[in-house]
Amino acid sequence: MIELSEAAKAYLLAFADDEHMIGSRHANWIGLGPFLEEDLAFCSIAQDELGHALALYDMFVPTGEIDRFALLREPADYRSCALAELECPTWDLALVRHWLYDSAEALRWSALVGSEVDDLGALATQALRDEAFHAQHAEMFVERVVGDRAARSRIERALAEVLPVASSVWTPPDGEETAVAEGVVTRSSASLAMVWADQIRTQLDGLGLAVDPQLAQGLDELPPASTRHHRINQFDRFHTSLGEVISLDPSAIW
Amino acid sequence: MTHSWTNLDDFQTYIDGGGIVEPNDRMPEEFRSEVFRFIEFHANSELMGGLTERDWIPRAPGVRLKQIFLAKTQDEIGHAHLLYQVAADMGVKSRTEMLEDLFEGRSRFHNVFHYKAVTWADQIAIAYLVDAAAFASQRAVFAECTYGPYKRVLKRIVAEEGFHMRHGEEMLLRLTEGTDIQRTMFQEALDRWWWPAVQLFGPDSDPDDPLLRWKIKSQPNEQLRHAYIQKYVPLLQSYGFTIPDPNLHFDESADDGKGAWVTSEIDWEPLIATMRQGGPDSRRRISNAAANYADTAWVRAALEATAVPA
Repeated sequence: MIELSEAAKAYLLAFADDEHMIGSRHANWIGLGPFLEEDLAFCSIAQDELGHALALYDMFVPTGEIDRFALLREPADYRSCALAELECPTWDLALVRHWLYDSAEALRWSALVGSEVDDLGALATQALRDEAFHAQHAEMFVERVVGDRAARSRIERALAEVLPVASSVWTPPDGEETAVAEGVVTRSSASLAMVWADQIRTQLDGLGLAVDPQLAQGLDELPPASTRHHRINQFDRFHTSLGEVISLDPSAIW
Repeated sequence: MTHSWTNLDDFQTYIDGGGIVEPNDRMPEEFRSEVFRFIEFHANSELMGGLTERDWIPRAPGVRLKQIFLAKTQDEIGHAHLLYQVAADMGVKSRTEMLEDLFEGRSRFHNVFHYKAVTWADQIAIAYLVDAAAFASQRAVFAECTYGPYKRVLKRIVAEEGFHMRHGEEMLLRLTEGTDIQRTMFQEALDRWWWPAVQLFGPDSDPDDPLLRWKIKSQPNEQLRHAYIQKYVPLLQSYGFTIPDPNLHFDESADDGKGAWVTSEIDWEPLIATMRQGGPDSRRRISNAAANYADTAWVRAALEATAVPA
């Protein structure tokens, strides 16, 4: 573990928790994918995201304490965003969230490639290679299914449900201004959000997807930093499942 | 070169001489039908095994452990993917037909996947006991397997199952060396999974089992089951666990005087019940899988509708 400022820790915590939540949510699709090839692909993406979470936690959580830190905190102590926490119990919702989240994730890693924190730039470079595949997978999948009228309607309904919380992925972590000033990250969430929102709006237009214009316009409107201190309603059951086994015997090594 | 045979005796001579049957060969319909049924059963078992293990993945007591169990379950789904392809290429049923039969309860899968994993220790028992039983039985098929495509995918499957078995051993050792709660959890899981794992090998083989005659299987069920019991009884006892069998004993005179562990007479009724989809968790397992398959039908329909002609 390396010496990090409080701002750096707060920045990495938010990203690590997002990756942990999205990886765990994606993981819930194992065995339930719409067809076997997709089951395998989506499971690989889930494993990648959990790997990113572990690598980030490892930068600021003492060795041997990561699992308890990742699984046993009180809900208010997590710093994940609503987009990563969403349950997305149907494939249309899961696919839309995958598309929106992974396109944002790639931008987040790109802003860490030039980080002055030891090893973080190298990690970001490696993660970006994963994310190129994740984004390609999501975009190709969406592009393909919306060619079918019934599927297009489903995707549009899913967008109406997910877009209102999509920009939560850009909720600035606590102390982000300091993290930028210290060189932990090279761009603010607000500036990355503008790039992302333009990209998503261009894709929505290109695919001819009908979405509420206000939702599309609001994609780069960032929620206040304090929203990372609050969990969505669907979090409690998820949180219980995360800690169900490890809390049976806190002294045990599993 | 495409092979053809004038009759079953001619075909048997080819098999006995070490011949391998390939999909384009004009294989006897009896062989096609039996081997297809066997591979379909194997494919179904890999898929339903993945669904059995998936239940506890969200509750994995560690992020790295979640990754590991995801990778393992992904392997099982991947095995199903390969095996359905091999089975479909035999021209009896398409993959879609096989999946629909599975989710409608019209086809079978291994007995052990009709049981529910009740605690995290069941997940370990599956990795330790069930994967080892599956490994032993698949390795015995791989040893001779006269259907070429099946033998080729088994090479990969057996290698991965061997890795799963080692993983199960490592996970069990953690519980064995762990706290009282962990050891009690595993004993309870062993009580639930011992007999289903032993029953996985099936009743004694018919002496004229065509799968043995055609060298798809290299050993009869009873030999594989016996070897499994000889290996796992002393191992589990050495870890301090109790095999849930009051009549279990070591018979010094068995196996031509070499001695062997002898169990109670095996009750095959639970196995027979699973073959009729009447196992403890059969209904939930099949209906959940069927419901999910129906819920995601729109994706498959969309991909089919937008497919680019070859």
